[in-house]
Amino acid sequence: MSIRRTFGLVGAVSLALVLTGCGSSSDDGPAASGKEKTRVFAADNGKITIPADPKRVVATGYAVPVMIEADAPLVGISSWKRGEPMMTEEDLATYKKLPKVAGEQAAETNYEAVAEADPDLIVIGVPAPVLGDIDIKRLESIAPVVAIGPTVPSAWRELSHEQADAAGALEEFDAAKNTYGTKAAELAKKYKDVLPRLKLGHVGAYGDAAKGTFQREFNGSWGTNIAEDLGAKYYGKVKKPGPGSQSVSEYPSIEELPAAFREADVMTYSVNADGSVPKSVQYVLDSKLWKNLPAVKAGKAFPFRYTEAATYGEALKTLDAIDTSLAPLLNR
Amino acid sequence: MTVAGRAPRTATTGRAGPQIALLAGGLLLLAAIAVLSMGVGARHVPPAEVVRALFDHQGTDDQVIVRDIRAPRALLAIAVGAALAVAGALIQTLARNPLAEPGILGVTAGAGFAVTVGSALGTAGGQADELGFAIAGSVLAALLVAAVGQRSPLRLVLTGVALTAVLGGVAMGLRLMLPDVFDVYRFWSVGSLAGREQAPLALPLTAIAVSLLGALLLSRALNALTLGESVAQTLGAGVGRVRAAALVLITVLSGAATAVAGPILFVGLIVPHLVRRPAAGSVPWLILYTMVLGPILLLVADIGSRVLLPTGEVPVAIVTAFLGGPMLIWAVRRYGAGSL
Repeated sequence: MSIRRTFGLVGAVSLALVLTGCGSSSDDGPAASGKEKTRVFAADNGKITIPADPKRVVATGYAVPVMIEADAPLVGISSWKRGEPMMTEEDLATYKKLPKVAGEQAAETNYEAVAEADPDLIVIGVPAPVLGDIDIKRLESIAPVVAIGPTVPSAWRELSHEQADAAGALEEFDAAKNTYGTKAAELAKKYKDVLPRLKLGHVGAYGDAAKGTFQREFNGSWGTNIAEDLGAKYYGKVKKPGPGSQSVSEYPSIEELPAAFREADVMTYSVNADGSVPKSVQYVLDSKLWKNLPAVKAGKAFPFRYTEAATYGEALKTLDAIDTSLAPLLNR
Repeated sequence: MTVAGRAPRTATTGRAGPQIALLAGGLLLLAAIAVLSMGVGARHVPPAEVVRALFDHQGTDDQVIVRDIRAPRALLAIAVGAALAVAGALIQTLARNPLAEPGILGVTAGAGFAVTVGSALGTAGGQADELGFAIAGSVLAALLVAAVGQRSPLRLVLTGVALTAVLGGVAMGLRLMLPDVFDVYRFWSVGSLAGREQAPLALPLTAIAVSLLGALLLSRALNALTLGESVAQTLGAGVGRVRAAALVLITVLSGAATAVAGPILFVGLIVPHLVRRPAAGSVPWLILYTMVLGPILLLVADIGSRVLLPTGEVPVAIVTAFLGGPMLIWAVRRYGAGSL
């Protein structure tokens, strides 16, 4: 075995350990000698001792679609309407069937319903600042609680892995991940002579786009991170970076549209799952400044559906949608 | 001596010269600030380009920004500023209450309630729908308040406050139950002049223009009303008709302004106080001055709203609140509580 191959193998093993462990360690806890094996899992709320093989899991927020896709042993979930259009028929049926123990907002957690579900693990998938809306101590009195919430938009890959890992449901997760990887590689090959040479700009529809402003998304944001797997490059960077998604997107005045996208060869923009254009994006599309952009004049403005994908299953739909939208670029 | 008591003396002292000069100065200042507002923003546009955009439009990005975004926005600021300020002067005169402002008639609460209901029903999707709901809500709320409280200024104010509380409470309940509705409302609830250039503004702006003219025509009759109802009746003023006409004007002015820009609370309260001294108790001069100072205040606040943040904008209602507070304190300290 050559030195290069040895290093490659060590690197792959290290990466696998990081990804599968991600702060967790297989460790028989005090309960191991008794009934059930446990391990220590590193989450947003600290190092938590959880069952090594959970049998009854409650999931909330971003953890809901991940757990459903990964066939985790769910006994209760929060409502997750925003993910419904991206679920497969089978997953949607599962989602509808499962008891709802919380609403759309973290503050709408029904603690009695959680207790009634009798979970042995609770996985909370909300951003760290929102954790304050949840009575974690009360939940901890029911079952171990791991909080694994979103950070930057593109981190859904790692976060969904952690969530599935906590629930002991990596088998299905890895299958979905591999399917996504294969499809993304195919599409990257398909667009390799086109996309890497272009400068792209994206108008997003996520978050707080107040009137008179637009959301510009850079690399690593909701509307861009999956297209990046095809070789797309969204140029520029945030003027004043903030935490989380503020490090990869910003909300400038509509007057800044020409300066923001003058250099773009191709423009992309987020649309709803049904293809309709969100109000904040329609405002931009109706502006004369948009129509003046070189990329728009050249007919190179394309809508992206399913830009809020946060699981590999959902991202497969995004890949297909991006492929459909960008196909005209291959004919030029 | 009350403001009302000074009215007849002012009318006979022949001080029109300085007042006209002050009005002309105000108009010049307004024109200068309006031009400035078309050059200042997220993107600096040189004055020559501003002129070219208005009179020799070539369709460059700078010219599009001036002509399609900033010019309509400046026009909107002038209309909304004048509408709110004049509505404030009218309601303070009518209610004989220096703390009265257009929102006291329930207009703002009515518009907010209607936007909330429209969002909850899923029918207030576009800017035109939102505008329609806001106008309908403000008109219905004002009609209800006017119907209950028309006979007495005190009753009018109390009815407005009560309706505001009721509508605010119900709307809050809806927003708490429906997070998507809350998202729509939170953007509407902070008044802003940004992003309105694509909305159908012709009808509300026409309504504001006609109502401002109506306020000027009514101002002489209101002058008599400030002397008290008995004196006004002795002077031949139809008190009931004048009060009803003033209520209609206040409703249209504040309703249209709130519908197109969202709630901007301080302008209607503060501007009449700032010009009451130079108006010297004359309602016609009070209306004229508020018609000029309201737009100036809103244009200055709007310019500030564009340049205060390195990226994006601050809603103009927040800037007027910051400007309005110190200005009110300054007016009280400068002229004393009597000026209010």
